[in-house]
Amino acid sequence: MKKKGLLTLAMAAFLAFTAGCGQTAAKTPETAGSGPAQSAAETTGDYTKIVYSYWTMDRIPDEDARKSVEEAINEITREKIGVEVELMPLAASEQAQKVSLAMASGEQLDIFNTVGDLNTYIANNQVYDITDLVHEYAQGAVDQVSEEFLKTTSKDGRIYAIPADKGIALAATLYYRKDIADELGLDFSTVKEIEDLTPLYEKVTEAYPEMVALAGGAGGLELVHTFKDFEVDYLTDAWTKPMGAVLMGDSMTVENLYATEEFKGRVELMRDWYEKGYVLKDAATTTASCQETVAAGKAFSFIGNQAGNYGVQEASSMCGYEMGYVRLSQPYLDTTAVNSVTWAISSQCKNPEKALEFLNLTYTDADIVNLIVFGIEGRDYVKVSDREMEFPEGLDANTVPYTAQYSCGVVGSQFKQLVHAGTPEDNNDLMYRENHESKTSPAFGFTFDSTPVKTEYTAVTNVINQYLPGLVWGSIDPETELPKFLNALQEAGLDDIIAAKQEQLDAWAAQE
Amino acid sequence: MRADAQKRRARKRNLIYILFLLPGLIYLLINDYIPMFGVFIAFKNIDYGKGIFKSDWIGLQNFRFLFKTKDALIMTRNTLLYNLVFIVLGTVFAIFVAILLCELGEKLSARIFQSALILPYLLSWVIISYVVFAFLSSDTGYVNKAILEPAGKSGVNWYGESFYWIFILIFVYLWKSAGYQSIVYMANIAGIDSSIKEAARIDGANKLQEIRYVVLPLLKPTVIIMTLMAVGRIFYSDFGLFYQVPMDSGALYPTTQTIDTYVYRGLMKLNDIGMASAAGVYQSMVGFVLVLLSNLAVRRIDPDNALF
Repeated sequence: MKKKGLLTLAMAAFLAFTAGCGQTAAKTPETAGSGPAQSAAETTGDYTKIVYSYWTMDRIPDEDARKSVEEAINEITREKIGVEVELMPLAASEQAQKVSLAMASGEQLDIFNTVGDLNTYIANNQVYDITDLVHEYAQGAVDQVSEEFLKTTSKDGRIYAIPADKGIALAATLYYRKDIADELGLDFSTVKEIEDLTPLYEKVTEAYPEMVALAGGAGGLELVHTFKDFEVDYLTDAWTKPMGAVLMGDSMTVENLYATEEFKGRVELMRDWYEKGYVLKDAATTTASCQETVAAGKAFSFIGNQAGNYGVQEASSMCGYEMGYVRLSQPYLDTTAVNSVTWAISSQCKNPEKALEFLNLTYTDADIVNLIVFGIEGRDYVKVSDREMEFPEGLDANTVPYTAQYSCGVVGSQFKQLVHAGTPEDNNDLMYRENHESKTSPAFGFTFDSTPVKTEYTAVTNVINQYLPGLVWGSIDPETELPKFLNALQEAGLDDIIAAKQEQLDAWAAQE
Repeated sequence: MRADAQKRRARKRNLIYILFLLPGLIYLLINDYIPMFGVFIAFKNIDYGKGIFKSDWIGLQNFRFLFKTKDALIMTRNTLLYNLVFIVLGTVFAIFVAILLCELGEKLSARIFQSALILPYLLSWVIISYVVFAFLSSDTGYVNKAILEPAGKSGVNWYGESFYWIFILIFVYLWKSAGYQSIVYMANIAGIDSSIKEAARIDGANKLQEIRYVVLPLLKPTVIIMTLMAVGRIFYSDFGLFYQVPMDSGALYPTTQTIDTYVYRGLMKLNDIGMASAAGVYQSMVGFVLVLLSNLAVRRIDPDNALF
């Protein structure tokens, strides 16, 4: 009996082993590093080696293609700053984890971009305190983004990063199918806010009953973009899942966004649209993007979040129809708008001065930015004019050896880069103007350190995941579910988060 | 003198067996024992500047988030109950399938059935989630559009009603895993000495009696061991099943939230190694205790079949 038992045990162990393979993906954050180890040769010959990692949504280029771009960059940097660069493109979905992992294991990684809450990086001590170096080694970059913006990447007077220089003044924008709008004679110029869409959507639904008026896409939170018309400052929470502790308008009192009349009105409007069939029944859970839904002929319009006015070209090409656009809210600048993408030096960097000098070039040297974003001229792209590029004949973003075109708003300065052919000429000016002239939150520059309420953050995040998508897309009834949502937020500790934010905000305001 | 030689021979023979065991042992050591060293991370406030080893100790603070809200109760309940159902129904179905397949013998049809039953196991959860979606989607799903609506009933918003998912998840789990789990039992049944069955038949047992009084009692040790192993993982849930199949729909959390999905959802943004490790340590500790307890129970009832 015993023997047979052991045999079974061995078999079971084998099954458990093979079955285990399928589950590793779920455990990503648990991987432990082996402790800081000295990285191998930091310098190659007379030049300092700098590893520059960046977030990309394009295909990760193969090694040969990457090396050739590196070589082209090095030809410039060897002479200018005595640096040789190694590029480390990281897929957007795993960028944060890869960065943490590289740091925990002591792999060389000098420069990386932060995405989302900068404070997490500061609290974890992943970013280098560059206060004493930034003005000496990267003044060009500071001038490019403006000194004022460094407030958003500072904590207690110390500077930790440089914001990416891009169109940051985002406006909730509705993109709609022009052919249908023209056919039905819909006038979008009268639309000033989302409520104005109801009569237009009624006509669309009547004429095209098999099509929904408004698409919702993967993640299902596009509507949150439109909350900006409440002049809301999320106080450094990610806009995709704001914790709810926010400032509204000119007030300096932290309040619960989800308990406001404005939020209630918005979700009631969506419930109304849902019941009338203006939105997808599956919007809160679908994994297809809005553009895909429009391209499939199943939706008339979708909402995006865009700076400048180049978005409509992009929308048209992705949807396969000519699209029109109208803004649903005006840009409103808060700290997050500026510091959601920043460039930081790793806290384990051995040569922060050289790293900053290279970072500086990505904000000031057009050749270098274009190499990182678009690759090598002639092979990866061709110039159409002084400011425009397109992919070489017969190739596209998926087939050129190297491109990081979607990182245009991430790498260094966007204003130094080439633009896709067809981008309106005034786009860059518009972006630049709105970056500096849009209305700003009274708490602009304040950053919230969430570590004291880490536990509450986790709990509240889960509550928000549970209710928010269903509420903003109307698939659950606000009448009964909104009170439950508010109750669950309370239980998860939202009040503690609000109190912590208020306390830090008051301290910050006193310092200002 | 002779005894000595015998002993030496026995030792030599054992050495060969131990050599056979070696790759497995090394695998266990590298994959299961060395990483255990990392449990200390659960008690640290990870600071990348100081490095993992020099970060500050913070006691049990990392564990707090697991018990913070009433979610703790829901996710623990879901994890435990689903796994209990999976263990019971999974075993029943696996044995059922194994007996049926064995009765078919070596025929071609048996091979075809077996392959067909194992196929779902080889599909990834992401693919399965879309198969389920094809059935349940509100806008285009088969169930709503081809069954409910033609029958005059209004469609159900499947991804918004948590109650149904208790059954959907159990069904999907059984469909995916029963065929694969039956392999172990099939091997056992095939190993049963045919003279025992023959003796039963001569004594006048019919097919059902033969299964009831011969096959099932002989499967008992396997069932016990498989169950003990499953109990050890009762605090872990199949991430793909609970995260991918319900399409991460928030409205379904009351019946689809398990410890693993809670940890993933809560920490995806925070990227906090310490808290994630705390969750892992908690799951392993409870699993370990449960294995000891259930083994103790088995030893009380049936000492022959206890694992240790």
